[in-house]
Amino acid sequence: MYRNVYKYDDMKRKEHMAVRENVGWYLWTHQLVEVKGEDTAAFLDKLFTKPIANLKVGKERYTTMLDENAEIIDDVVVFRLEEQRYWVSTLFATYLLMWMGAHKGEYKVEFENVTSQYHMYAVQGPKSRDMVNALVKNNVDDLKFFSFVDNEVDGIPVMINRAGFTGEKLGYEVYVSADQAEVMEQKLKAAGEPLGAVEVTEFQVMAWTLPTEAGFYYMRDLRHTNPFEVGLEKGIDWEKDFIGKEALLKVKKEGAAREMVGFTVDEADIYIRSKHLGGPGEAVYVNDEEVGRVSKFVYSYVQEKNNGYILARKGALKVGDHVDIHGYEAVITETNFL
Amino acid sequence: MSKKIDARLPKKNGTGVYESYAAIRSPWEKLVSYKDAMHYVSRYNATLSAACMQALRILVPDYAERAQDMCEAAYQKLYYLMTNYGAYAMDEHNVHPFCRGSFVGALTGDSGDEALLMCGRVQDFGTYRAEKELDVCDWDIVGSELCRATTQSLEATSRAWSEKLRPGTQLEFHMVEAKGCGDCHCRIVAESREKYPMPSHAQWECFGPVATADQIKFTEEKDMVKESMVFREECDYTFTNGTNVEHDDSSVADLMGRSNAAAGYIFPTISNLLRQGKLDEKVVDHVLWCVCEAAGKAVYGEHYSREGLRNWLGAPADLNDGRLMGGHIEMFLQALRVPYEIEAFNSEEVVYVIDRNTLSVFEPKLADAYVAYWYGMTRTLVNAQWFLTEEKEGTPADKLRIKIAKKIDKFC
Repeated sequence: MYRNVYKYDDMKRKEHMAVRENVGWYLWTHQLVEVKGEDTAAFLDKLFTKPIANLKVGKERYTTMLDENAEIIDDVVVFRLEEQRYWVSTLFATYLLMWMGAHKGEYKVEFENVTSQYHMYAVQGPKSRDMVNALVKNNVDDLKFFSFVDNEVDGIPVMINRAGFTGEKLGYEVYVSADQAEVMEQKLKAAGEPLGAVEVTEFQVMAWTLPTEAGFYYMRDLRHTNPFEVGLEKGIDWEKDFIGKEALLKVKKEGAAREMVGFTVDEADIYIRSKHLGGPGEAVYVNDEEVGRVSKFVYSYVQEKNNGYILARKGALKVGDHVDIHGYEAVITETNFL
Repeated sequence: MSKKIDARLPKKNGTGVYESYAAIRSPWEKLVSYKDAMHYVSRYNATLSAACMQALRILVPDYAERAQDMCEAAYQKLYYLMTNYGAYAMDEHNVHPFCRGSFVGALTGDSGDEALLMCGRVQDFGTYRAEKELDVCDWDIVGSELCRATTQSLEATSRAWSEKLRPGTQLEFHMVEAKGCGDCHCRIVAESREKYPMPSHAQWECFGPVATADQIKFTEEKDMVKESMVFREECDYTFTNGTNVEHDDSSVADLMGRSNAAAGYIFPTISNLLRQGKLDEKVVDHVLWCVCEAAGKAVYGEHYSREGLRNWLGAPADLNDGRLMGGHIEMFLQALRVPYEIEAFNSEEVVYVIDRNTLSVFEPKLADAYVAYWYGMTRTLVNAQWFLTEEKEGTPADKLRIKIAKKIDKFC
């Protein structure tokens, strides 16, 4: 008899709930591509759907990157470090670099994978500000969401970014030189201890259970979708030119063919194939017709039930619908479970 | 009447894999599709591997000793390979810098399985536990020692990958079900002993038990798959994993050519034992030849198998000479994409010059095994007047020159 790999796992539960109720910290280094040169803003504006040139130094923006067919290649966060120097934070650097190379053209830009030079630690949860303040030289009380500043931890230069992938209102990221990672981990442990902070060590918690509760996407969720299908059309700059714009305008005009919906399953000890582990995902049927495939199937420790996403034919599934997925009764929900 | 048109493979299937055709072509213009060619070569290598395993069983009669030898060889080989060349593979699999621990190595096991037509599914993928279930394994006839050794190659890969990341949890890999042992699936469960303590065991004892048996997700037979994602319509004929790796069907030919059961596991074990002085090379060569020759003879010993070959090759009904064996070899070489030249192809003799290193994947004794295997086949395919011999004189070291012709040999 199969027992749910999340529900009964006290370690995963503790790590997950620390972020929701207190504070959790963890290594969360993403791949970083540094882009610089006089045409950088224009180049990034061409690659990404949201406006980049109007970003202020010290600010960042989440955006999608499309191919010519308006399919999402990657979703990234773009940091403006200096007037002509940016970071693109990604988990798909191999492809991003190829894409940049393919579209560099006459742009006066240079780009480089600087991932190996840095590590990043996420500090997330209601007490994350207290923990970061206990760590850094200059307190971060005034740091706004999606903003970053240079700071110090016992003389070690760091960059503090207010952001996160957990859906928590308070959350920070500490960027540090890679050679200081070991020291930084010790300092994070020490700073977190009085607050009862928990180190999140489980990949499934940082990549799946926390973000899924918040309606966030991770890697495969977005593959072969367009922004309208996954609710990422907000903030797209239609005034500028970007790769995939023409195809995306067509989608905008005609409407998306699919949409991402959430679902929950009350029955605990079950397993449903989903794309986040590879493969096609379980088919979802309505009246014997396939209307979608399961993109993700994990667990919500807040709701205490299985949850996930389905990429479905637009309009086929509505919030509150009950559907059968491989013999299990699922209830359709929004994608945000918090 | 239903107007349904069943799914069929897209026309682009296999495009670019072979030079002239999206298929292999017999000397009599019989075409075999790319997909069938891949299945053919996969099982072919498994069958030869099964023979080679029998040779190893004669050479090292004790099961535990033999399994341990194979596990050690598999671990050493993959650890070395991935320590030195793993960065590329990690990049290809989008291993994220925040991943710490050996669980990330499971990604390569998954993509490798699919490319070797061992289709199934990832059931769990986390820092402290990973699970993979296979529905098909062409290697299931080779021997359970091989199953154990594959587990160790995965563990070695995973450890080597983890050493390129921030230090993290190590997993112990167990094959808790194995199709080769009669189970419905092959199932790897990898667990952190830090989180899931279990008694220690010898390296070869990697068939379980595991601590998380109650977390195993068993796919019922009705839901099992027969083909890898690259040959399935519901997957858009594309392998995809959770980290956005996508491979088309050329990945099958690619890995099939770089890896086969015998070359990958059995021959490195024999090489290790020879280096350690535990085996005598003359005895190894003798046993290997005897076993592979017998296995080859068994392939065409029955009348119906010869008829099957004729059908496979589209060979004329009245053709009954060395060209039949030539057709057999050519189909295999084409499927595996081993370069070869035809020096003679007539009713008297057939001569091929084959790229030795591509055939043997740089395991010299594997080429010897093929020659013995084909020799045995030749004796039963047409009649015992026909022999297949290797012609070493005047042949460059990187070539394998074989001749199929009638001869008399009083010591055969």
